[in-house]
Amino acid sequence: MWLTTQLKHEGQGLDKSRGSFRNPYDIDTPPGADGWESMYPAYLLFDDGMRVRDEEKLWFFDQMHNPEPLYPFDLMMPESWLVSLNQYTTRVWNLPTALGIEHRIVNGRLYLSPNVIDDPALIAEREPIFLERARHYFENWDAIYENWVGKATDCIERLKSMSFSPLADREPESTVTSARGVTTAFDLLTSYSRYLENMHEMAYYHFEMLNLAYGAYLTFLEFCRSHFPAITDDLVARMVAGIEVILYRPDAELRRLAARAVELGVGDTLKSGGEPDVVIATLRESSVGCQWLEELEDVKDPWFWYSTGAGYCHANRAWMDDLRPPFAAMADYVARVERNEDLSRPLEHLRSERERIAQGYRALLDDEDAVAFDNLLALSRQVFPFVENHNFYVEHWHHSIFFDKARELGAVFVSAGLLDEDDDIFFFHRYEVYQLLYEMEARWALGVPTRSETIWRSEVGRRRRIYAALEAWQPPPALGVPPVTVTEPITVTLFGINSDTIGRWLEAEHGGGDEDSFRGLAASPGTAEGLARVVHRSEELEDLVQGEILVCPLTAPSWSIVFARIAAAVSDGGGIMSHAAIVSREYELPAVVATGVGTQVVHTGDHLRVDGNTGVVTILQRANVNGVAKGASMSSQREEVGS
Amino acid sequence: VNAVDLQQEYVVETVECHPHQLLQVGGKSVGLGSLLRAGQRVPDSFVVTAAAYADWLVSEPRRMSDSVRAAIEEAYRGLFQGDDVTVAVRSSATIEDSSESSCAGQFRTFLGAGGVRQVVEQVEECWLSAFAPHVDSYRADRVHEIGAAADASAVAVIVQELVDARVAGVMFTQHPLTGDRSLVVIEASYGLGEAVVGGEVTPDLFEVNKVTQQLHRRSLGTKPHEHRLADGAHTVATLAVSADRQGEWSLDDNEIMALLSMAGDLEAKLGRGLDIEWAIGTAGDGGEELFALQVRPITVSPRRASLEGGPQTDAIAFTLGRLAGRAMAAEPDGKAGS
Repeated sequence: MWLTTQLKHEGQGLDKSRGSFRNPYDIDTPPGADGWESMYPAYLLFDDGMRVRDEEKLWFFDQMHNPEPLYPFDLMMPESWLVSLNQYTTRVWNLPTALGIEHRIVNGRLYLSPNVIDDPALIAEREPIFLERARHYFENWDAIYENWVGKATDCIERLKSMSFSPLADREPESTVTSARGVTTAFDLLTSYSRYLENMHEMAYYHFEMLNLAYGAYLTFLEFCRSHFPAITDDLVARMVAGIEVILYRPDAELRRLAARAVELGVGDTLKSGGEPDVVIATLRESSVGCQWLEELEDVKDPWFWYSTGAGYCHANRAWMDDLRPPFAAMADYVARVERNEDLSRPLEHLRSERERIAQGYRALLDDEDAVAFDNLLALSRQVFPFVENHNFYVEHWHHSIFFDKARELGAVFVSAGLLDEDDDIFFFHRYEVYQLLYEMEARWALGVPTRSETIWRSEVGRRRRIYAALEAWQPPPALGVPPVTVTEPITVTLFGINSDTIGRWLEAEHGGGDEDSFRGLAASPGTAEGLARVVHRSEELEDLVQGEILVCPLTAPSWSIVFARIAAAVSDGGGIMSHAAIVSREYELPAVVATGVGTQVVHTGDHLRVDGNTGVVTILQRANVNGVAKGASMSSQREEVGS
Repeated sequence: VNAVDLQQEYVVETVECHPHQLLQVGGKSVGLGSLLRAGQRVPDSFVVTAAAYADWLVSEPRRMSDSVRAAIEEAYRGLFQGDDVTVAVRSSATIEDSSESSCAGQFRTFLGAGGVRQVVEQVEECWLSAFAPHVDSYRADRVHEIGAAADASAVAVIVQELVDARVAGVMFTQHPLTGDRSLVVIEASYGLGEAVVGGEVTPDLFEVNKVTQQLHRRSLGTKPHEHRLADGAHTVATLAVSADRQGEWSLDDNEIMALLSMAGDLEAKLGRGLDIEWAIGTAGDGGEELFALQVRPITVSPRRASLEGGPQTDAIAFTLGRLAGRAMAAEPDGKAGS
């Protein structure tokens, strides 16, 4: 059992006497957020009828995917992964010891709870089915993965080809001449359905291979730990990690384009740091500039379908829609090329390091164990391209287009006078959008209003105010009662939920921790000291000053472009295989993830020490009180956590 | 096991001390011989064998024979080219330092003998100490395992140039508690290694990863005093360590790397799982060097996961078994060092 293993590794089991987290049924609504429940479907709220069961479970905050309050429309992502991931666990693979991961929303935040099977008879019944089915995937992994890339790409292409157009005053004549029978209003409705189905489809592909891939990785990790108790997760990851990974490709393309700009003699224009529109206009004035822009265009699809977040919130725009992040990065890279720095990733070095570490550990094992090591490492490496690459296909490429298509539909409602702005659509759940669609169709059909025109728009206003009030709420890392075991590989690997994490959170919850230091998972080795910069969303990244330590709810891979500037990264969420951890290691940056409390206890300007070897973050000196209001609110939140 | 051959030489070169001569030269001498044959820098030394002790034991009245005395004097003058080199005189008994026994340190060690006359006196003191009550009771328990033939005859004595250690300590080439082979564990404190070996101070602790050659963990000890050579290197003085120095690490990165390299070299030549005593300091008029002072095997039960499901032959079956919730037997019982 995965967590059982973790417990043994870490030498301390979960001690019930250490207590529980706050009861999920006793969480206060933040001021101004009354009625927040109305933004979300009832099946995602804590239900009084389930109280006896639900308050006895552990619910952990999904900081990794949705650090900010959920927009109702963006619930499409968690809701689709709830069914796809869990169907694979529960019904497809029949994982013997795990059922699905439940979802609940509290004050706009998503909380997750894994489920264990402990009935030996049921475990025994599921095991042979699981073994046979999972073996089929492992034995045919490469062929299935190749096919997966085809399916994923096709799903994305179909999404791309969908469009939502405003209804014209008159139905096109072709409807009549072709005797079509149905209208463009009907097209909108069917397109919307296909659009939602497309998201569900991608979510299935997302989890088709992920449980098994994490399982293979965890098995190797566990084998290594049993022989080398001191081995860090980071070292195991470095033995397994791929070298030419699609996830690094967008950044690699920026580096290449920067070098190309210098070559063509337009480096200065890029380096000017102006708004992308201005830079592009200047480039258009010269033929070499035009040539560079053509090369940029060749790269953009698909590599600029790269979200500035984790890919789960529409507000994190992809580079495709917001050129400022890639242009800022290229300005940096141009300067470095001009200083004759080699910006290419040292592939040979990375490859030889990977082998050196693997061979170094292998050499410490006796013969039989060395063969086992080889086999388990080979299996991990075989499954790993999927782990690393699915992230680009799903979260960046597909999700970014998905959100853009929602804006297209939003524009349809704006043109029909139902909404004020394209983005207002995100304040409605996808099933509420069916009502919007119907009401629009009805008005279009009737030729007269259905009801007061302002109904939907004022509802947006109400929800916008609630949303702002929810943003001020500091979600605790966990609620409810810690479990005895967790058997679900994704919970452990991706979310980093183990006895250690839970113990640290409990300590923070009950004020047992040292308030000048806190712990997380050591995700990338090295130590660094510097001033903290607390960043909640990608727009705030601009404030980062060279040498500062990034403290954030999570680090999205696309934030890698600021990694050249920072000394270390600390994130509230994330496991060792989280996007944040992978990229930090790639950039050889000390990183501590899954602290649970980093953004709550650290203020911008605090002097920190980050130890990426031990996972300890120490506040060496508090910032001068330069932001009185902020400092005051932070300390009151700390008191809340400690009470 | 044969009885000590009374016809053996009274004094031998340390480099000639091989494992099969354990009963003649004792465990420490065999360890020193291994270090020399492995090419380590070891302070100059020679060994007064158990044959000399046996000769003394049967003499009546009990006194060192002229031939033994002459052999010691010749070896001392031959090795140190002089009459005034400060040495350590240590007993090297066949019970002590064997890998089955962990009663190291109960035998006599005399630091700072200077001049051949004092050396001869101290060799005799070592022999006498074999009768010390605490040693006797220990040997009485163990003697049947060694064999009756070993009897009371097996005390050899090492005469070794004393290194004026600035810092010294012990090093384990795998974690002594968890058995983790990827770690070298170093304990270090100021001055002669006796402060660490004898448990007088809490040494600085360094755990270094052999594979990455990076520091895995370190903890600062309290190092309140140190033993240093004094009085023209003729005596050993116990000095207080200033608060500032106590707060500093006793080893720098280069020194840690040199020790790591020594560990790797010795494991390659002598096998896995070694407990090494070392010192960084000067011997005679030489400059500062890293010396290996002693080596012995450590016995840690090897760590291994249960390979049920056979990852050696079928990694998929093993992985599926793990995913199905089968426990990996023989799990580590604690995370190293935390």
